[in-house]
Amino acid sequence: MDMKNIKIMVIDDESIVGKRLKPALEKTGAQVETFEDPESALAHFYENPTDIVVTDIRMDKIDGIEILDRVLAKSGQTKVIIITGYATVEIAREALSKGAFDFIAKPFKPSDLRVIIERAAQDLTP
Amino acid sequence: MLIISSKEAIQFLREIGRIMNLLRMIRNHPLGSIRAKLIVSFIGFFLLCTMISVGSIWMLYVLEKKIDFLEIANNYMVEIQQVRRYEKNYLLYGTNLGDAVEHLNLARNILTQNQKTIEKILGRNHSATMVQYMTEYNDQIANLGLGKRSQADMALLRNAGSQMVTFAEEFVTKEREAMGRMFRMARHAPVYFIGVLLVMMIFIFITLTRQLVMSLNRFMTYTKRIGEGDFTPILQKKHYSDEFSQLADAFNQMVKELDHRHEILVQSHKLRAIGTLVAGVAHELNNPLNNSMLTASMLKEDFGLLSEEDKMDMIDDMIHETERSQRIVRELLDFARESETHIKPLKVEAIMKDSIRLVANQIKMAKVRMDVDFSEELPPIHGDEQMLKQVFVNLILNAVDALPAKGCIRISIHKKETPGYVTVDINDDGPGIPEHVQARIFEPFFTTKAKGKGVGLGLSVSRGIIRKLGGYITLASEPGKGTTFTVAIPTTDFPSKIMSET
Repeated sequence: MDMKNIKIMVIDDESIVGKRLKPALEKTGAQVETFEDPESALAHFYENPTDIVVTDIRMDKIDGIEILDRVLAKSGQTKVIIITGYATVEIAREALSKGAFDFIAKPFKPSDLRVIIERAAQDLTP
Repeated sequence: MLIISSKEAIQFLREIGRIMNLLRMIRNHPLGSIRAKLIVSFIGFFLLCTMISVGSIWMLYVLEKKIDFLEIANNYMVEIQQVRRYEKNYLLYGTNLGDAVEHLNLARNILTQNQKTIEKILGRNHSATMVQYMTEYNDQIANLGLGKRSQADMALLRNAGSQMVTFAEEFVTKEREAMGRMFRMARHAPVYFIGVLLVMMIFIFITLTRQLVMSLNRFMTYTKRIGEGDFTPILQKKHYSDEFSQLADAFNQMVKELDHRHEILVQSHKLRAIGTLVAGVAHELNNPLNNSMLTASMLKEDFGLLSEEDKMDMIDDMIHETERSQRIVRELLDFARESETHIKPLKVEAIMKDSIRLVANQIKMAKVRMDVDFSEELPPIHGDEQMLKQVFVNLILNAVDALPAKGCIRISIHKKETPGYVTVDINDDGPGIPEHVQARIFEPFFTTKAKGKGVGLGLSVSRGIIRKLGGYITLASEPGKGTTFTVAIPTTDFPSKIMSET
């Protein structure tokens, strides 16, 4: 799938994450939307599903695992990439067993995430 | 011979040395000591028994003498009566005068042989009169033998004879009476002895039991108090010292040791708490680190393309995020730092806010909610910042552990109605604590958590800390409805006595 047609949604309650990842991920050519509030992110997703969702796992109202569940329930082919603050085997295993595409542990470099996103894009059925 | 005697001398000297040692020991041990009291009592009993035994032996000896002497007195009486019988025979039939003289001599012999004893019994004058009558009678009998049988001589003879009999009778009666007295005394002495013994025993019993039972009760209270974590030393109340004073010293030594161990326990518990907190803090720290990493990476990537303004914004972000990291680390370090207990006036709500920040990540990870309700204008409290944080963190972490996801923790701080305390209520709407567990929950090493999740020190250490600060922790729980731990801490207007000593 051509990167230009790919839509990415980034959800993290840390505002800087969205602010910095937007230009970083746009370099791949994809369209990037960022959200700090998981609820409004999900509401937006229900109307305009994206191909890739990058979400933080630990947020106040709705956590990343729940977002994963709801995103996949809405759109099965969406690739969900989980950001974990404190990488534990259990969380990673849970995320992967629930259908996450991959996970990346904080702190990470934008280029690390870009690699995963490019892999996810290749995996997307055109 | 010489060797043996010198050996005996050494033996004797040793014996004396031993007795001196015993005396010295009694002197060195004040009379209050139970040992000294026992020694004195036993010596008293021994002396009393010895006295009574010697008295009995003496009495028996005297009685024996009296019985012997009574026999002598009876013999004398018989002799005198014989004399008078022969005298009568002689006067009637003119026979047996020789027999009368012979028996009179026998009686006189008895009298002279026992003169001293008789003098003692009858008195010197009386016995002299007795001898005098006998001499007179003897003279008259001699006269009779010479043929002097006038009316006047007869009267004299009869008078002397009857006097002699009276004296003999008196002598025997007196001796009997004396013996009767002796027997009565021998009969009464054991009764008196038993009486004295009883009084002595009751006195010793009361003194010893009072000392023992009262002291034991006192030590029972101490043990209970120490068991509850009050490590103030025992103060000597009595004006004398006894075995219990030594026990009190030993107790104080033990309490010191326990207090020291408690300190270690508090530290080790804190290390466990730190271990728990570190997981959350590491998570928390990853956020500012990630923000700095992303910002720095983008600054590097797009360095040439970015405007001055954007670069400035990114640098400011990095500085800000680094400060955030610094704050997170500092909070944990403040909590972890080993320091001497430092009691000072503190704002309890500030300490609670710090504690909540420390456990914020645990709360987020457990997905539980937290409500706080602090009264306005709380008085300053007396306490140690680190210790209080340790208690609050522990209680909040316990609540977090007890709660399922979406559970709720409510923390409220109020001034208590009873003056002098501020109370902190930490409430959860979890499953509650069963009643049989409530009774044991503050015991060290008692835990309801799964193996590896807790060693059961948290609440016992927390209670130890709060007690040391002069406050107390109570628990109210109803199965199914949740649990509230209440920590009461003294305010500065009512400084606790215990605290000022620590």
